[in-house]
Amino acid sequence: MKALILTGGAGRRFVPFSTTRPKGMAVVAGGSLIRRTLNHLREAGITDATVVLGQHGDKVTSTFADGSDLGVHLTYVEQDRARGIGDAILSARDRFIAREYFILVYSDVVTSANPFLQALQSFNSFKGPIASVCLPAPPTARYGNVYLSGTRITKIVEKPTVAGLGNYVLAGLFVLPTEVFGLLHSSDGDMEKVFAELVRNPGLNASIWEEGWIDVEQPWDILAANRMVMDTWEESHISRHAVIEGNVTITGPVRIERGAVIKSGAVLAGPCYIGHNCYVGNNSLLREYSSLGPGSLIGYGVELKNCVLFGNSKVGRLSFVGDSVIGENVDIGSGTMTINENMDRTAIVVDVRGDALDSGLVKLGAFLGDDVKVGAGNTLAAGTVLLPGTSIPHHATVTGGGK
Amino acid sequence: MCGISGVVSFHPIGDRLYEGVRHLEYRGYDSCGVAYVQNHHIEVRKDVGTVDEVQSKANIRQLLAAVGIAHTRWATHGKVTKANAHPHLSCKADFAVVHNGIIANYKALRATLSKAGHTFCSETDTEIIAHLIEHTYAECGDVEVAFVEALTALEGSYALAMISVHDAERIFCARHESPLIIGVGSETNYVGSDFNAFIDYTKNTVILDDGEYGIVSKDSYSVKNLHSGEVVDKSITVVPWDSELSRKGGYPHYMLKEIHEQPLAVRNALNIGDDEIGALADMILEARRVHLLGVGTTYYVALLGQYLMAAVADMDLPAVSSDEFRHLDKSDGESLVIAISQSGETYDTLMSLRHAKERGAKTAAIVNVLGSSMARLVDRVILQGSGPEVCVVSTKAALTQMILLARIAIEVGTRRGSLSADLQREYTAALTALPGDIDNLLNEKSGLIRAAAYRHAHVPNWLFLGRGIYYPIALEAALKMKEVTYIHAEGMPGGFLKHGTLSLVDDKLYTLVFVPPGNGELHGMTMSSVEEVKARGGFVFGIAFEGVDDIFDERLVLPVTSDFTAPFLPLVAAQLLAYFTATALKRNVDKPRSLAKSVTVA
Repeated sequence: MKALILTGGAGRRFVPFSTTRPKGMAVVAGGSLIRRTLNHLREAGITDATVVLGQHGDKVTSTFADGSDLGVHLTYVEQDRARGIGDAILSARDRFIAREYFILVYSDVVTSANPFLQALQSFNSFKGPIASVCLPAPPTARYGNVYLSGTRITKIVEKPTVAGLGNYVLAGLFVLPTEVFGLLHSSDGDMEKVFAELVRNPGLNASIWEEGWIDVEQPWDILAANRMVMDTWEESHISRHAVIEGNVTITGPVRIERGAVIKSGAVLAGPCYIGHNCYVGNNSLLREYSSLGPGSLIGYGVELKNCVLFGNSKVGRLSFVGDSVIGENVDIGSGTMTINENMDRTAIVVDVRGDALDSGLVKLGAFLGDDVKVGAGNTLAAGTVLLPGTSIPHHATVTGGGK
Repeated sequence: MCGISGVVSFHPIGDRLYEGVRHLEYRGYDSCGVAYVQNHHIEVRKDVGTVDEVQSKANIRQLLAAVGIAHTRWATHGKVTKANAHPHLSCKADFAVVHNGIIANYKALRATLSKAGHTFCSETDTEIIAHLIEHTYAECGDVEVAFVEALTALEGSYALAMISVHDAERIFCARHESPLIIGVGSETNYVGSDFNAFIDYTKNTVILDDGEYGIVSKDSYSVKNLHSGEVVDKSITVVPWDSELSRKGGYPHYMLKEIHEQPLAVRNALNIGDDEIGALADMILEARRVHLLGVGTTYYVALLGQYLMAAVADMDLPAVSSDEFRHLDKSDGESLVIAISQSGETYDTLMSLRHAKERGAKTAAIVNVLGSSMARLVDRVILQGSGPEVCVVSTKAALTQMILLARIAIEVGTRRGSLSADLQREYTAALTALPGDIDNLLNEKSGLIRAAAYRHAHVPNWLFLGRGIYYPIALEAALKMKEVTYIHAEGMPGGFLKHGTLSLVDDKLYTLVFVPPGNGELHGMTMSSVEEVKARGGFVFGIAFEGVDDIFDERLVLPVTSDFTAPFLPLVAAQLLAYFTATALKRNVDKPRSLAKSVTVA
């Protein structure tokens, strides 16, 4: 069986990262979402996949190329018009053989375990179309309501009106017959209609996903997904090619990749991820859920907490970065503070391109797009968003949505 | 409680023997093993652990024999050790036996056999059977004669299967007070504790009765009377269940699957013929004294039945826990005892029924498993038709039993004239709407219940409160919580609080309250219990209906349906709460510790 991976979503609420990369190239616990998906597929025995590319698709092709590094075989399709999921699927139509089943997966979903194993097991027992469904946490009506009778899906309500809803939703993973391409073609790319048609005939079976599931939609979802993945770690992995100096304290599970250097006096309070060729300076404190992408450089006496650095970024000495997401090639000057809570402990509002979005989170730091430069001695207010390439001079104070 | 499977075939049996015993794991799963004949001797592979664990050590699937027996054990006599795991061999290893049940006179037999020179490798009662057969075989030289003679020496309960090198292409099996059936396939025949052992391969079964034994070969089978030796003409029963139903399908656990199958199971219960319900109603009306029996979950079902009979039929049908019934049993020829059991094999309930029967009482049962001991023991049985329930923790079977008791209460009330025609119509309509109500609850509230379960999974002590008919609901809900999460949850009537339990209430003890809909007396009394707990700083989680005052620390609000069927909705919600709490705590949901699917031991 072959997989079709959709990476083309515009990610309007995923600023500042969607400006330079598809959501699937966001990073949690040391790996991009697409990398996690490909690894899970390979573990489930699926080594052949077609990836539908949208905006910034070059980011995907340049990272994964033909997939041989991950033990899979990848081909790519450019989505010619960014009009939604149906069109994205249709653009890959000629890559699939008639009268077969294929796996359809959205690349912006993070799960705590391998969902393909279960979906394929369900497929084997039903020998029919499968939709993975789950109960999102916290409960939300945002994704519509899937109604089940047994495991048969009876209807999918896109905009539910029931009060106090806590319902099953489509989890973004399907096993579908290639007839879907024909159905999509005749319904002008309307995926809702195609699902309704599948529910009617031949029937759509639910595979109920009980493990963790996060749809990455807003930048702070990265932090939740990072925590969810790290919480599944039960032991530490430290590369034999990592250098850990004396007097380094490690507690909890950590992953330290080859070429990483941890200087004396550093404290790693896992779960933490330290990628390939990272440098963690003397007396730095990496608290729970810190994830450093490859090539990150953490200066002397820096404190990190619940934050994700995509990679090749620098945090200058005596800085604090907490509850924040930092893109690639970001340079944070020394003595920079992210503020991660409002003084009145209210939920932090994030300004995304003029829209004030309530994160619902009491602790939240800053979101720095790729190639941002922050001068030394800066203070970044809670909920700050810096678009890619922004440059902040030394000793400026940036006000975000915080108070 | 153990599971037995056996396969004899023209083809290698490894896979089918493994699958058979794996599907019986819910009957017990502390150790397992197989025995098979290869090159004129018997090989045994057994170990401590679940079937999959033993498979990974002993590789049962790969064996190339054409005849074999297997066993999954739930220890009663002797510790959980490899030596005590079945199958057990005789001294010369020419007989191998698997057994479910208890041999009452095994100490005496063991002493006799020891004197005759037999040495034993285990502490089990089963092992003596193998030696006993070998002992008698040495005298008569005929496997069948030896088997029968050994059986007649046994006292107690047993279902057993035996293979021998002296008759290497047949399985010998027999039962007495423990279940055993034969599966009839093409080019392969089976033996099993129940249908699950071979439902993937054949739906044709022959049900053995007490005092009968079977001889099964790859292309034929025969059943004989143990005492006369005459062939018994047994008809083939076709299992109505689809093998697909016996599997998890798209569900992560059987428990969730079975919770979701409840609308279907309730519909099946509503489709059971009025004549069957009527016949039981007649028996109730004819009797002078009626008792409802169950144990564990089914006792709570019986208790709910007592409330229903009082409210709907204006009758007093006391519910008694069947493990205690013997001490209270005063039945006579004018008594009726109605037993409730999913498996129809529950030891305590079977014993109580036999006890009452001996005293002359009439008996009836509501049972899920066709051909079970209870179904055949009683004067009248209602098969609830809920489909196989694999999860050790009962959900759909229990709810279906409650629905059947509601139907019986309506029928009795109507016949006695204590239920008006209007109410009878209203209640029946409410029951008809119930599957849809449960569907909506499952589809619209599951996420809220899951979120609440994950939030409160750390709470070590719960009080589950209900008044009136919500009291047995609270008891059953608390039992679900205990069984599957190992968290302490105590069900109690709201009125008990001020008679002692309030002293336990503080901010660490959480209380789950089942609040009835409406503004009636029961609602008011329940809300006053809520106030009592809150006044002492306790956290109150209310499962309530729309229109309730929000005085709770947290609540789950269900849509208002009929007052008659309302109690069943919070029960379903509580099942989900127990399930999701168990998954949050990473419990072994379908096979919780210290619990077997049907408890066939004293």
